[in-house]
Amino acid sequence: MGYVRLALRNLAHRPLRTALTVTAIGLAVAVAVSLIGFNLGYRQSIHTSIDKLGFQVMLMAKGCPYEAATMMLKGGTGLLYLPSSTYDEVKADPELAAITPIFIGLAQKEGSGIRDDEAGAFVILSGIDQASFVAMKPWLAFADGPGRQGGRWFAPDAAHEVVMGFEVAEYEQRKVGDTFYVTVIPHGQIEPQTHEMKVVGILERTGTQDDGTVFLPLSTARRLFNRPDELTIVGIKLKEFSGVRLREFEKRWARLPEVQVVSLQQVKTTLVSLVETAQTMIAAVAIVAIIVAVIGVVNTILMSVVERTGEIGIMKAIGATRSDIFQIIWLETLAICLGGGLLGCVGAVLGARGVEAALRLLIDVGVHGSIVVITPSILGGAMVGAAGLGVFAGVYPAWRAASLRPIEAIREGE
Amino acid sequence: MVRALDGVDLDVWSGEMVAIVGPSGSGKTTLINLLSCLDAPDAGTLTVAGRGVTDLGEEALTEVRRGRIGFVFQKFHLLPALTVAENVELPQLFLRQSIDRAHTLEVLRTVGLEQRAAHLPRELSGGQMQRVAVARALITRPAILIADEPTGNLDRANGEALFALFRRLIDRDGLAVVVTTHNFHLAEQADRIITLEDGRIIRQEQRRRIGTGNVTGD
Repeated sequence: MGYVRLALRNLAHRPLRTALTVTAIGLAVAVAVSLIGFNLGYRQSIHTSIDKLGFQVMLMAKGCPYEAATMMLKGGTGLLYLPSSTYDEVKADPELAAITPIFIGLAQKEGSGIRDDEAGAFVILSGIDQASFVAMKPWLAFADGPGRQGGRWFAPDAAHEVVMGFEVAEYEQRKVGDTFYVTVIPHGQIEPQTHEMKVVGILERTGTQDDGTVFLPLSTARRLFNRPDELTIVGIKLKEFSGVRLREFEKRWARLPEVQVVSLQQVKTTLVSLVETAQTMIAAVAIVAIIVAVIGVVNTILMSVVERTGEIGIMKAIGATRSDIFQIIWLETLAICLGGGLLGCVGAVLGARGVEAALRLLIDVGVHGSIVVITPSILGGAMVGAAGLGVFAGVYPAWRAASLRPIEAIREGE
Repeated sequence: MVRALDGVDLDVWSGEMVAIVGPSGSGKTTLINLLSCLDAPDAGTLTVAGRGVTDLGEEALTEVRRGRIGFVFQKFHLLPALTVAENVELPQLFLRQSIDRAHTLEVLRTVGLEQRAAHLPRELSGGQMQRVAVARALITRPAILIADEPTGNLDRANGEALFALFRRLIDRDGLAVVVTTHNFHLAEQADRIITLEDGRIIRQEQRRRIGTGNVTGD
């Protein structure tokens, strides 16, 4: 039997108190791990989602660029449009590597009212120029499997063909060859119109906003929405993407009325900083939870020391030095914190999907893909942190116990 | 200032059982705390196994106690989280001695509890717990065994069995045993009876043979 075993046996002798204290530490660690995992996952998700837009710069109608970027990521209402002539002018810019015009509109989901304000009541329709759009997103491919074979892109002027993203096809339960009804309110009209479309392809899952989008030819989309000369955004890749080149590009095209140039790098930075503000507040809550848990540990061990004053006196009487007693009590604290750390890590890993679901339910995260990513390094850091808490929290109770005089301790314990 | 002990001059010899008797407040516990190096005297001299311990601090007293003095208390004071064998081995743990379970069982056999090695203290009777406490005191082969009212929580039969055990250990190992008791019947089994009153020795009664090695001083 060594001191570690002795400490563990002492803890096991008071199972309920030990379990409660370990649980408190575990909860604090789980919150911290989940928060760090959210921080990492959300950043990665923002980067992935924006990178998979396929372009570096967007031209869009003047307004809040971040709202527009968010709309690009997850869809939304309140779309603004810019004239098609913008695309015609900009595509001649010598610095362009690629350019694609996009028209975004919202169609009613089957079973919901067209005037619902809930974003979930809509399906995003994306009118694209297939050739230039796919050139920007070479990773797009058609899904395979039952009901998805034989997928293809629509013809540029097809009036009744759509390609569905993976998730929207699953949600709407559509297969290649199925009919898909698109209900929209055309610009300048009041009554919705329903159009019968044929699903000619279902895309593979990309983990991006494309999974929830229904694609159709640009000309068809503009016709459905009665906006024949308008676009929502123009996606652009520059030959050389740098801050200088971007500013030059912005300067060249700032002269266009009602048009703004938005760098997706800026959008990323701004979205991350917005998230960081919220995360700072959550971190404060996590820190308070950890402090409360540490106070709980100190309190528990101090109570244990007081209750075991007689035992400590006996141990000193039969040969334990101050150092021995310090080590035993300190190891008990360390064991509680490491146990709590382990519990918290396991809880955070097992609960990650639940945390993600709760976050998506509570806040509009605006990105696809996993937003809580718990890596081995996060778990390792949490265990080191828990051990550090144990080392810190154990010092005072251990010192108190070690300082007891045996004769007085035995007397107090009787 | 209260003088708990005054002018006490006492030698304890190896192979001797000394019983200290006296009314409550007579200074029995103070004397036994000094003899066991749990406390240090304000004045006078105290020698344990040839080492002067009068002016030592707590850590130094611990060093003297470790391995030299075994304790048996009235309330047993076994650690409830540990088994009988682990309680017995505890002093060895603090002395950094290698723990030999065979030796532990041998010591438990001496007190008749070999079969109880894996039991927890709460599963034992009072007499059995006190015998475990004796085994714990003996595990490091101390020179002195100090027992403070060891029969205080035992019935007569268990009390007599404990004193018989002390006698066997003295005869077998040449142990010096100092025991305080209120029970005069049991005290009569000691080699010497010292009666304390108001911190003074008022009577010493030599009842049996005296050992050969001096272990404590005045």
